[in-house]
Amino acid sequence: MLLTVLNVVVGGLIMGGIYALISMGLSMQYGVARILNVSHGEFIMLGAFFTWALHTAAGINPLLCVAICAPPIFLLGFALHRTIYKRLRDVTRVSGLFEGNAMLVSFGLMFVIKNIALMRWGSSPKGYSFMAYSVEFGGAVFSANRLLVLAFAVCVSAAFYVFLNRSRLGKAIRAASQDAQAAALFGIKINRVMAICFGIGALLAGIAGVLLSMIYQINTAMGMNYTIIAIIVVVLGGLGSIPGSLIGGFALGLIGSVVAYIEPSLQLVAYYVIIMALLLVRPKGILGR
Amino acid sequence: MLKVKGLNVAYGGVQALWDVSIEAGEGEIVALLGANGAGKTTLLNAITGVIPALSGEAEFEGRRIDGMKSAELTEWGIAYLPEGGRLFPDMTIRENLEMGAFPRRMWRERAKRLRDVYAMFPKLREREKQLARTMSGGEQQMLAMGRGMMSNPRLCLFDELSYGLAPIMVDEVFGIVRSLRERGITVLMVEQNAYQTLELADRAYVLENGRVTLGGTSAELLGDDYVRKSYLGL
Repeated sequence: MLLTVLNVVVGGLIMGGIYALISMGLSMQYGVARILNVSHGEFIMLGAFFTWALHTAAGINPLLCVAICAPPIFLLGFALHRTIYKRLRDVTRVSGLFEGNAMLVSFGLMFVIKNIALMRWGSSPKGYSFMAYSVEFGGAVFSANRLLVLAFAVCVSAAFYVFLNRSRLGKAIRAASQDAQAAALFGIKINRVMAICFGIGALLAGIAGVLLSMIYQINTAMGMNYTIIAIIVVVLGGLGSIPGSLIGGFALGLIGSVVAYIEPSLQLVAYYVIIMALLLVRPKGILGR
Repeated sequence: MLKVKGLNVAYGGVQALWDVSIEAGEGEIVALLGANGAGKTTLLNAITGVIPALSGEAEFEGRRIDGMKSAELTEWGIAYLPEGGRLFPDMTIRENLEMGAFPRRMWRERAKRLRDVYAMFPKLREREKQLARTMSGGEQQMLAMGRGMMSNPRLCLFDELSYGLAPIMVDEVFGIVRSLRERGITVLMVEQNAYQTLELADRAYVLENGRVTLGGTSAELLGDDYVRKSYLGL
């Protein structure tokens, strides 16, 4: 019994770690740049496929792939904001209209990225084996790669949290998310901060993708599922709240793991029931204001 | 120091300022009085480049400042406090202050600047880890002023500092404005609270329907029949 509980909890924390990463990423994009990025999951898919390709073709250690994939995925997000979303914001002056248009654009982006990946890699599932040996932990047996993913997700989340709270850029990002106009009066370049936030969002999704490829089979259609989960977590935690996304991610992972243990097919159903119930009780999410 | 010449500004096709010219000398407190919608905030926004002017110019220390990017304000020695303080509600008092010294050159010496500002506003130091949104209206206004001081400005533009404050807080806030004059800082303040403002300011302008209709020393305006009737209710 105790072993089962430990198994379910650790399994939940692993999923929760991934959820937290992707949700913090989406939260950055929505909280500061006001873009509900429906193509978020495609950056997860890209991270996963880059890693798979590098590992299977060149034998590169997947952990090293985090460092290799991070800069280009960040730059891709940054450049997308500079070339598309910034212009969209310039031509749509009304913020409500911009949010709607930006979401439509990100739908388009989702299909573009997904179909390019489909052309390149096809639709069949891919996978590789990495650190697939078992380790014993408190009497329960886990595969090493899953524990590694958990540790990595926790470290990246913590590092990101420290970055936001301690660094000059992190503070500028928080200030811009709370009052962009006032932030501009103090020399914060809003357009640049927004592009950086979009890039960081893509980066966190990409890292999550690298980690996912170590423990699951991947396919070019995998993105959408994670986009939906990230949206659920971001709403759950409070729109734009980074601590909310962190807590919400781990909470949803744990709940999902418990539900999946009882009845796997009810996992997504449970997520939706939770979010509907929460929105009725706390319309602004756990930490929303 | 600050010279505004023939400023014309339109908002969404409607002209809001007509040929506005004002001046503020070094270390002087100059007030802009006027009713709601007279164009006071528009004038501050045009001076700081938040909105573009149709024609005319604003000059500070001999350099054109209208039309510059608002992001450059602090680097030019100008602190602009928009109405309502506009704090970062979910950041601590200390973090709010730090943002006032965001430009890289100032960021490096933010510890020293924090000490200076804490010396001016000792209450802020006691509560530096508290979130800005948990403060009272008066305290928030203090924090907004402190944040403006972090960049060591030579010109402060204040929009409705006293708005919504209890009388005792208004006294305290105005006392701080007076102390700025002693430091040689030029102040241009927009106010509705005409009587107290004229007691504080060296000079004042009256803005009506986007035009400067009166200007003079505070003593002159306090003695002016029209001002007494329309703005002081005497």
